[in-house]
Amino acid sequence: MIELREVSKLFGREHAVDGISLTVASGELCVLVGTSGCGKSTTLRMINRLIEHSAGQILIDGQQIRSFNGQVLRRRMGYAIQSTGLFPHWSVARNIGLVPRLLKWTPARIEERVTELMELLGLEPATFADKMPAQLSGGQAQRVGVARALAADPDILLMDEPFGALDPITRETLQDELLRLQSRLRKTIVFVTHDMDEALKLADRIVVMNQGRIVQQGTPQTLLHEPADEFVESLLGGADRGLKQAGLTRVATLMQPLDPAQAKAKADLPTVGVDDSLRLALSLMLWHRCESLMVTSEDGQPVGTLAFHDLLRTAP
Amino acid sequence: MSDAKQPANRVIIAMILLALPALHGLALTSVQPNRIVPGDAYRLMEIVGLGGALLLSLPFVAVLWLAWRPSEKRMRVIFVINIALLMALPWALALFCMSFVDADQPYARAGVGPGIWTLLFLLLLILIELRTRLQLSKGLQNMAAALVVGSLSLALISGWLEPLALAREYAGRREQFAAAVLYHLMLVGAAVALSLVIGFLLALLIRRLTRLQTPAFSVLSIIQTIPSLALFGLLLAPLAWLAARYPLLADLGVKGIGWAPALIALVGYSLLPMTRNTFVALEEVPPDVIESARGMGMSPWQVFSQVRLPLALPVLLEGIRITAIQAIGLAAVAALIGAGGLGTFIFQGLGQAAMDLVVLGALPILIMALIVDAGFSALAAYFRRGVVHD
Repeated sequence: MIELREVSKLFGREHAVDGISLTVASGELCVLVGTSGCGKSTTLRMINRLIEHSAGQILIDGQQIRSFNGQVLRRRMGYAIQSTGLFPHWSVARNIGLVPRLLKWTPARIEERVTELMELLGLEPATFADKMPAQLSGGQAQRVGVARALAADPDILLMDEPFGALDPITRETLQDELLRLQSRLRKTIVFVTHDMDEALKLADRIVVMNQGRIVQQGTPQTLLHEPADEFVESLLGGADRGLKQAGLTRVATLMQPLDPAQAKAKADLPTVGVDDSLRLALSLMLWHRCESLMVTSEDGQPVGTLAFHDLLRTAP
Repeated sequence: MSDAKQPANRVIIAMILLALPALHGLALTSVQPNRIVPGDAYRLMEIVGLGGALLLSLPFVAVLWLAWRPSEKRMRVIFVINIALLMALPWALALFCMSFVDADQPYARAGVGPGIWTLLFLLLLILIELRTRLQLSKGLQNMAAALVVGSLSLALISGWLEPLALAREYAGRREQFAAAVLYHLMLVGAAVALSLVIGFLLALLIRRLTRLQTPAFSVLSIIQTIPSLALFGLLLAPLAWLAARYPLLADLGVKGIGWAPALIALVGYSLLPMTRNTFVALEEVPPDVIESARGMGMSPWQVFSQVRLPLALPVLLEGIRITAIQAIGLAAVAALIGAGGLGTFIFQGLGQAAMDLVVLGALPILIMALIVDAGFSALAAYFRRGVVHD
């Protein structure tokens, strides 16, 4: 658990962060979102003491971070940044094994862990272990960056716009991957981004920051339904909010169970997955110019239908 | 590779058009009965007659023809002819010595004339042009170099080149020569090592105290602008005074002239390139790499020794390379203040109007500079290879 109590950071006389209080529960994925210069990165870097806070208290599992040695503290937290920061003169395997080596694990244990992590992140060990960072694509490099952050199995993961420099398709893949990892690993993650769509997709809880202060925090649904002010509203994309919300809701929540008698008649309808978003369903309707879709389960079996008027109901 | 004809290679054609008059018009060699008496210059016609001269023109004309409509294959033929000419040159000189220098006269000597130097220069320029045009493998390049150097070495070992003035000058100074080369190397080595240590510490210091940056580089630049002779002169008085004041220093050999002022001056000149390159090398390491190194929990010393320094190494080696080459040249001037080294021969030769003695001093300096250049470039490339993908 990470607790920030009335934390401020002054650069000269400028308040980069101004008295923020925030609790990130264990296993929670908390996204700090805001425009550039709002203090979100500074907040992140204060948690692992790359930047020292000027006032207030930061606690990890109830203990003040000042009571730890900074290096020891940082080795206990994973850290991934936008440009990956991979060491260009080290192979992929050596990069991933960095923190375990700092923690003086045995070479055999490091090697085992590195292989495990590469497999976890979909990097074929035989192919990638000996490659140099310059030989990797942006997406591969960021996977290595995440693997390196996870290397010593830290409870806490700090991520500073890790997918910001990737193309949209790769970014989406890695976001899905992060959600998949998180459902398995249940780390306490603080994730910084300026991209509200990314925040809505990933977050258990979103913390909106502006000019060093927290403007609003809550679940993605809370933010969409009750934005605290115009700033949050504009971050959410104003009139686009309907689509953003549809993007957060699964088809399963609004679909009608399949009437076996009608199954034959509706066999020609375009299909949508039960786990896909309403946004995708809407898009399919617009594209195919039809008013209803067949909903299929993961194994492709028809399980229900979704009609346009279903979309207008409020999710239960 | 395609064998399509390309437009005429103007560079090679121009070189050959310069080489042909040099071959026929300039004095290729000369013969002196002894060191003092001016010798007789020989042109190609006077050495091999009209028929021989025309025959020897053939390879050059062939290259001209090949370069007119060059293809990949023809350029390779030019490369072979070029290497063959370079290999043949020492043996041609040997033949000349045998037939034109009277073996009974122990002081008679053959000089290498402007014609041969010009031809050598033009042939090397053609080689450089061929290297950029043809994708020659490293192995092939090394083999060509080995053939040329091997041919020259064999000719030297055979003893047939002994009548050459350069060899005569060397023969009279074997021990002096070896000592001078060693001394030159020691002076350069000590200067580079010292300036590396000082430059490194200075670079670390001005990274810490950023406000020292401008003044530090100003001072180093000013030292760089003092003419070398003037700097030696400036050091003469204070060093002489120090030696007189502290006998311990005098016992170490510190005097107004000799190795002490030479070393100090060389270090002074070396500090600017060394400090600047070290500074830039350390500064230019990507900040996000340093940030993530710290973020992973590396200690400041681990960040420096495992990340910053290894990433700075190629640029740092570049600094050592530049400094070493500069010091090799500058150390020659130090001979003027009695510091010894290869410069001794150059200034002796200048004083006695014995150009071959000047060459005896200058040639090893040139070779040293080339070796240092190639060595450090290769080393920097080796360390860079890990970083940039291959």
